[in-house]
Parts: sequence; C-alpha cells; structure tokens
Amino acid sequence: MDDWKPSPLPKPFGARKKRSWYLTWKYKLTNQRALRRCCQTGAVLFLLVTVIVNIKLILDTRRAISEANEDAEPEQDYDEALGRLEPPRRRGSGPRRVLDVEVYSSRSKVYVAVDGTTVLEDEAREQGRGIHVIVLNQATGHVMAKRVFDTYSPHEDEAMVLFLNMVAPGRVLICTVKDEGSFHLKDTAKALLRSLGSQAGPALGWRDTWAFVGRKGGPVLGEKHSKSPALSSWGDPVLLKTDVPLSSAEEAECHWADTELNRRRRRFCSKVEGYGSVCSCKDPTPIEFSPDPLPDNKVLNVPVAVIAGNRPNYLYRMLRSLLSAQGVSPQMITVFIDGYYEEPMDVVALFGLRGIQHTPISIKNARVSQHYKASLTATFNLFPEAKFAVVLEEDLDIAVDFFSFLSQSIHLLEEDDSLYCISAWNDQGYEHTAEDPALLYRVETMPGLGWVLRKSLYKEELEPKWPTPEKLWDWDMWMRMPEQRRGRECIIPDVSRSYHFGIVGLNMNGYFHEAYFKKHKFNTVPGVQLRNVDSLKKEAYEVEVHRLLSEAEVLDHSKNPCEDSFLPDTEGHTYVAFIRMEKDDDFTTWTQLAKCLHIWDLDVRGNHRGLWRLFRKKNHFLVVGVPASPYSVKKPPSITPIFLEPPPKEEGAPGAAEQT
Amino acid sequence: MNRINKNVILALLTLTSSAFLLFQLYYYKHYLSAKNGAGLSKSKGSRIGFDSIQWRAVKKFIMLTSSQNVPVFLIDPLILELINKNLEQVKNTSHGSTSECNFFCVPRDFTAFALQYHLWKNEEGWFRIAENMGFQCLKIESKDPRLDGIDSLSGTEIPLHYICKLATHAIHVVVFHERSGNYLWHGHLRLKGNIDKKFVPFRKLQFGRYPGAFDRPELQQITVDGLEVLIPKDPMHFLEEIPHSRFIECRYKEARAFFQQYLDDSTVEAVAFRKSAKELLQLAAKTLKKLGVRFWLSSGTCLGWYRQCSIIPYSKDVDLGIFIQDYRSNIISAFQDAGLPLKHKFGKVEDSLELSFQGKDDVKLDIFFFYEETDHMWNGGTQAKTGKKFKYLFPRFTLCWTEFVDMKVHVPCETIEYIEANYGKTWQIPVKTWDWKRSPPNVQPNGVWPISEWDEVIQLY
Repeated sequence: MDDWKPSPLPKPFGARKKRSWYLTWKYKLTNQRALRRCCQTGAVLFLLVTVIVNIKLILDTRRAISEANEDAEPEQDYDEALGRLEPPRRRGSGPRRVLDVEVYSSRSKVYVAVDGTTVLEDEAREQGRGIHVIVLNQATGHVMAKRVFDTYSPHEDEAMVLFLNMVAPGRVLICTVKDEGSFHLKDTAKALLRSLGSQAGPALGWRDTWAFVGRKGGPVLGEKHSKSPALSSWGDPVLLKTDVPLSSAEEAECHWADTELNRRRRRFCSKVEGYGSVCSCKDPTPIEFSPDPLPDNKVLNVPVAVIAGNRPNYLYRMLRSLLSAQGVSPQMITVFIDGYYEEPMDVVALFGLRGIQHTPISIKNARVSQHYKASLTATFNLFPEAKFAVVLEEDLDIAVDFFSFLSQSIHLLEEDDSLYCISAWNDQGYEHTAEDPALLYRVETMPGLGWVLRKSLYKEELEPKWPTPEKLWDWDMWMRMPEQRRGRECIIPDVSRSYHFGIVGLNMNGYFHEAYFKKHKFNTVPGVQLRNVDSLKKEAYEVEVHRLLSEAEVLDHSKNPCEDSFLPDTEGHTYVAFIRMEKDDDFTTWTQLAKCLHIWDLDVRGNHRGLWRLFRKKNHFLVVGVPASPYSVKKPPSITPIFLEPPPKEEGAPGAAEQT
Repeated sequence: MNRINKNVILALLTLTSSAFLLFQLYYYKHYLSAKNGAGLSKSKGSRIGFDSIQWRAVKKFIMLTSSQNVPVFLIDPLILELINKNLEQVKNTSHGSTSECNFFCVPRDFTAFALQYHLWKNEEGWFRIAENMGFQCLKIESKDPRLDGIDSLSGTEIPLHYICKLATHAIHVVVFHERSGNYLWHGHLRLKGNIDKKFVPFRKLQFGRYPGAFDRPELQQITVDGLEVLIPKDPMHFLEEIPHSRFIECRYKEARAFFQQYLDDSTVEAVAFRKSAKELLQLAAKTLKKLGVRFWLSSGTCLGWYRQCSIIPYSKDVDLGIFIQDYRSNIISAFQDAGLPLKHKFGKVEDSLELSFQGKDDVKLDIFFFYEETDHMWNGGTQAKTGKKFKYLFPRFTLCWTEFVDMKVHVPCETIEYIEANYGKTWQIPVKTWDWKRSPPNVQPNGVWPISEWDEVIQLY
C-alpha cells in the first residue's frame, strides 16, 4: 500500500531513504504506523490549507486597501490642486528653507522680487506714490496681500495702520516707498512702524527712500534707508537684498475644529491676508450668519446678482452684510467678478457662494456696462423661473431689513406697469433729510445702488438694445435715458436700505465720497413694517400726494430757503414750498436749493412730476416746481415761487462733478 | 527519538495553525460583513425580498435624502415601468402594509434618481454624510452650459451626476438643472482621466450617455415597498420622454466667432424682427404642443440656430419641419384659432404638403412636411405661378432637443448633414439673396401638378 501511494510531501518524512526500515517493521507496526501517517498527512494538508487561506487573506486585504485609496483619490487631487497655486519651492524641499527677497525703493520705481520672481513692480508715472506693503506667507512665501498707501495724502496712514494691525503675527512684511511717503505719515503710524522693529520708518522724512523686510511681531530681516539731501530732491535709490527663513506650515496655520466651515476658512486664510479677525486663531469671526428667516418671504426665490470688480475687501464687507440680512437665501446669490481676479473669488469661496468670473472685453465704463449685461443675462439663465432679480454692487452695505423691504413692496412691480424698478437707495436721503423708515416714494429717476429688475423689462426691452462695447456708455446713465425709462418710475424708501461705502472706484474718490455719500442715512432697524404700500400705485399715489399737499402748511416764501430758519422748529408737520420751474426740464432753482440743503445736486434726482419730498428738522418738507408741476394748482395765488440764481460758472460745481 | 520529535513538532504546528486558521476565518467573516453587509445573505442565494441589496441601498439613500432635504425623485425606467403598470394598486396600498418587495428588489445594477438642483439648499455636507452611511460616492462635475451663451464667463462648476455605491448596488443621481424654456436639463456623464473606470459598470447606466432634456414633471408621493418616494405624476409621459431626451447644446463658441467675422445686425429693424420671429415661434410651438405634434427647426431657422445661435435677422420667416405621419387635420384651424391665418397651402397630405401662416408684423410661418423613404427624407415645394413641383432631399435624421430663444425645441441631431444638404458646404457664409427653387443644392425638379388638381394643391389666401 505504501509502495504505490506516494508521499504527498516527501521532505519532512524522507520516506524513500528509510525504505528498508519500513520493510523490516512492516507487519509489526502496520496498524500503528498507518494511523500515524494518516495523522501526519492530515496535519500537512491542514498546514497547506492554512497557508492558502493566509495568502488569500493577504491578497484580499491588500485589494481592499488599494480600493480605499482609490476612493480617497479625488480628495487628494483637490488638495494637490490647491497646493499647486502656491510657489513650487515649498514642495519637495526641507522644512527650513530660505527666501531670497529683493526690495527696491526710489523716486520713480519700486519693485519686490521673491526668489527671483517679481511680485511687485511699479514704475508708472504719477501713480503708486506712497508706501507699498506686501505680506508673504511665512511658510510658503506666497504673496497674501499687496497694498499701496499714499501717505503723502491725508488719512492714508490710518488705512495703513488698520491694515498692518490686521496682519496675523508671524507673517513676512515688506515695505517700500515710491516717490514720497512721509508727508501725512502721522505719529500713530510711525509708532506702529517702530513696534515692527523698524529704525528708519519712524524717522522717515520728506522724499526719503526706504525698504524694509520684517516679520510681524518678530525680528527685522533687513532695512535700508536713504535720506533726501534737499527739499527739491529725492533720496538715493536703495536696493535691499535679504534672506527670509521660512517657518514650517504648522506654525503658519491655526488649529480650528475640523468642520466644513473651517475648511473654507483655512483655505482662505492660507492664501490671503488683510481680512482681520476672520483668520484669527483664537476667536475667529463667524463666516456663517443665520439671520432670522422672514415670515412670508416674497423674495426668497428672487436671485441676487452681486456685481463686483477687483476690490476684494469691499466684497468681503458687502457679503457679510448681505448674508446677515434677514430673509437672505445664500443659494440665490451669485457674485459676478469683472476680470479674472483670484482674491475676490477667494472671498466668494470663503462664504460658500457661487462666483462667476468675466474676462474683460472692453475698457472703463463700457467694460462695466458689458459686465452688467453679461451678469444680468447669466442671472436669468441660471434662474430661468425668476421673474425678478436683485442687483447689488460690491461697495454697498445691505440693511438688515433689505429683504423685508423688498418682500413688502415687490408685488408693486408685478401689479403696476408704470414702475421701472424698486430701489433701496434714496438719492436725497441724507442724515438731515430722511426720517421715516416706513415711508416710500415714487421717483422719476433710477437710483440704482441695490435695486430690483423685472425680467420682462430686461429680456424684452433692455437686453436686445443694450449699449454695445464701442459705445462707451455708463449702463446706469443709459438706463436713465428717456428712451429706456419711457416715463416709468421707481419705488424708493425714505431711509435707504443700502449704504454706499466705496471710496475707491471708477467714478469715485475720497472727496466725492465725503461730500455726497458719507452722510447718507441707512436703516439699521430690523423688521420695519412699511406703511400703506398700495398707495404707491400710480393712481393711488396721486391721491396721496394731493392729500399731503392739501394738509401741508405753506412756508414763508419771503425767507431765504437756504437758511435753517426757513422751516419752523416743529416736529411732525408737513410743509410745502414752491420754487420756480418753467418747463419740465428747468431745474435751475432746484439745483441751487439742493446745493444749499447739502443734498445731491449734480443732477436732478428724486423728483416726481415736479415734486420733491424730503424731511427737514423731522418735518415732511415738500417742494413743488411752479408752473411745470401739475401740483402747481395747490399754490395759493398770493405766493410767488422762489427763484435762486445760479452762481457764475467757476465757483459752482466741485471738481469731481461726475456721476456714480 | 528523531521521529518523536518530528511528530511533536508536527502536532504543535498543526495546533497553532488551526488556531491561526480559526482566527483568520473569524476575521475574514468579520471583515466581509463590515465591508458589505449583504455579502453573506447574497451568497445564500439570490433571494428576492426586503433584505436584497437593491432594496437596502434604496432605503438608505431615501433615508439620506429625506434627512438632508435633498430634493430627489425616482426616474429609474425599470422601476417606473413596474410602478406605472401597477399604479392603482401602489396608490391604494397604505404605508407599511406591504408584505412583498415587488419593485425595489428587482435585480439590477442601478437605481436612478433625479435631483432638482434649484431646490437644493444644503449642497455642502451631503457628500460626507453619504460616505459615513457606507456609500462610496463619485461626483461628476462640469462647467455650466447656461453660461456658455454669454461671452467670456467662467464660473464655479456644477454637479452633473452622483453615483453612490453600496456594496454591489449603485444609486445613480442625475442632477437636473433648470434651463430657460421651462425644462430640466441633465449633463453628459463624461469620465475624466482620474476616475476609476471600473467603479460601476458605467455602460449599463440609463442616463448620461448624452445630455438630456425633460419637461418639468409634476411630482407625486407614493409608498412603494415600504419606502416613500416621489415619482413623476405622469410616469407614462416621463417614460416616453426618456428614449428621445437627447439634448444638443448650441455651438456658442462658433457663433461668437461668426459674429466676430460678420458682426451682428443690431439695427432697430433687426431687433424688431427678432422679437416678432421669437414670438411667432413661441406661439407656433405652443399651438403644436397642444396638438401633440412634433416639429423641428428647419431651413433658415435651423441655420440661424446652428450658425449663430439666434434668428437670422434678414430671413423674414420662421421655418418648421413636421413628419407627415404627425399631420393632423386640425392643424390649420388650430393655428387660425391662435391668430395665425393660413396664407397658402401647397400640395396635399399624400404629396409635397406645405403650409404657410401669416404672423404679426409681416413675419411668415412656413411648415414643411417631411416624407420618409428608406434611404432619405424629403419635403416638397410648389411654384404657385407654374404649378411646378420641387423636391428637397435630406439624409435620414433623428430629432434632438436644443434650446433656442428661451425655448426647448427639436432640431435634427445630424444637424451638419441636414444643413449641408440644404445650404451646401458654404453655409457658414451669410447669403442674403436666396432662391429657394435654384439655390439649395438638394433641390430636384419633381414634375408639374396636373391642372385639374391646382385648386386643391395651390391655395393662396
């Protein structure tokens, strides 16, 4: 039996070798041996099975692991994609690396190069005067912010202080002066520069050149300075070359809890700088606001288009206020960025909103106008069911009851064909001329600055004949033209639901902003119940105006309307004054009156059939243009309309007589 | 001595290995059940009941969508078909009383749901929760075609498809996006380089081979196999739409290039014509839809769509095609009721039928009826003065959806062949003088109508 049955595994037995031994003991031990062999064979088989199962298990586990890896792959890719945005030197190199930074300061040119890559270069004439500041990420060398503060001009140093204070500790700061940076560099700013460790900064003099590299809250890494020898000349150009040691990524990041929101925050904060406490490690400001929902919100499904350019800090402020407004629905918001700019897109992503970039095709005003067109078309494409769209700009604060205001009034746009828009902005609503947040007006002008557009108006009238790029028109001026407006009016609140904070802009500068926008009244009361909204409809409004005029007390027309005493020191009265207005387009007296009332006087705004409504000393103040206005019939025969002479040309209008 | 040692060692080895084997078996079983709970029950035989992996996957998915407020409805053709057949019975069965799993337990690889993107409020956390529930999910994104028509906009990508796998069964979530023209659109499922091609048998997917367009369905809630799902109120209509849902996008990039070369006509007349032509097309589409008659953009209107994504301002009419088998005798009266009086009628139903209606502002609506042959299709033309007949030949084509002037309309899927048949290879060059008897390369003389028939086949109003 043994002879013909080959041993399954010869090695441990060595069966053939012991053949003689087998034969000798064959009969004696047959039973015992057979049993033993059986056991042995069984054991070996068993071992074999174990080995096979083992191998299978290893294979299975390995496959499972590789599958799990594949699943995780998309996420890895995404992280890599993010990583790619940063300078490549970070990858594959040791944790302690050194950046080679060059900073140049001179009268007509500044530049900053990091590891041979120019990150700032400004040699344009008559531009970029002042202190240029660049913030680098201390772990990656990535440029996180780039600013210029024209500290030759007033108040710019305050902006610089504000900015430098917002920069997180540890970041690399680079400063360089172009032309002149000391004239309005006040003590606070100098003290701040001193606290950064700068020697020359606090002592910066007229037309000095200065280059500085330092770590916020840490050591100075290099500084060069050259004094101007005389009032009429500049300091010698200085070139500062220095090495900046990089710290580890660990140190550069905060340890926020791992949530979806913080993931957005981390992505944002590792890329940009200058947004204050949103990137604070200890107590970051929230990026999700859960304002109270509006009961019966009629504008919940109205898309909101935010028109933006490359002013990411403005956009940040604007979106914060928008997302804090009651009744906002974030998924209806789309931010349209005019240009292929990264930082505004980062801001949009921080808030988890939809952002769309628009590559420029035209110049200046026409470009803005083409951007508007593309944005509006896209809005109605993305929300084909929408009947309206809310149009906002990046330099607006949005009132807490913005959507409540629209929710209460939007039905007017549906029911009254004589309406062109609803706007949150009252051109004449200044601190001293607006009073009643529940009051609405009808006006013949289109104020913009936060308004509702009807889809049918856009699709059927505006879009087909929108000014083409070569026309170089302002979109809002075009919309105000009689061919477009066709006698229709806009609804506005007495107290604006938006606030125009933009100082830098295409048609905007500090002086202009201070004169015309800073003192604008802005509603901060939540949930204002609008009064008598249906009286804003075409016919009802006439009834309302007639009622108002009938009960209004006629002011003493012998007094100077520019004097404060023109209105009595009462409260809650309604007064009316009559001014001369020969034809529908004669605004001579009105413009002078607007000028001395310190309200908008650059063109005519806020009128309704020759009637202006505003508040003075908490009294409702009506101004009627006689005889052009149909309300002239309310003028008592004894009253002679006020006439104000326009001043001779030069003295009149301020330098920045441009429109917004 | 030697032998005893050997035996002892062997015995020891056997003992340890058996212990080891036991441990492994235990681990293996544990691992398997953790990975796919269904693995074991499935191996017991393909029992069709409530513990089938299909049913469990759908149940989990429905739990997920209802807890996360994901607005989905069922569009799986196989299951909708079954539900449709038993609609009354399904509606009468109250919640929880089902004893048998009749629908969701049917063996299949996928269950398809549609996600109404515009109703979706919290997109962000969903994915992670799905993965925590045991789904392995794949997301397919692409750029938003609704921005394509507007030059130089680039935005956040939109999700087109999600495929979430639970063991052997996968839920295919087709993302439906709202488009101008009151319809829902879904995108093409394109596998990019980094996607595991073996994640699921992609070839067996019912949606995503092409982009698709659907009428916005009304929905109803039903309870099937103990699960509450939304389905289209008219499942039959939806099922009929599926095979013909293929959508083609207008060639916006080429249209922009065209306008760069030839400049758009934005004179007052052109704007006015475009407006009335658009209104006429909308009116015609509405009227034909009411009759249930399929139509497509033909001739100049089709060329305008294909070449410049808009109405050609000097074309002076709107051209539609209809298959003669879709002809209804009440077409003429329906158009008349809609305020479009018949202008002329050439030919007859059996041969070369062509209708022309008078729209507002001197814009004409021409309807050409197409006749199918084995290897081509054709429509006829008639010269009113002479009674001459013409035949315009086209290669055979099928119909696809597209979006044109804020409407979902049909065009021939094989558009380029259609247009080249009609306008030749030089269709890209605008031609303002066009003689429909001579200019088209596909025109053939087709004899003359017998004078006796003229009264019938040449009717002018």
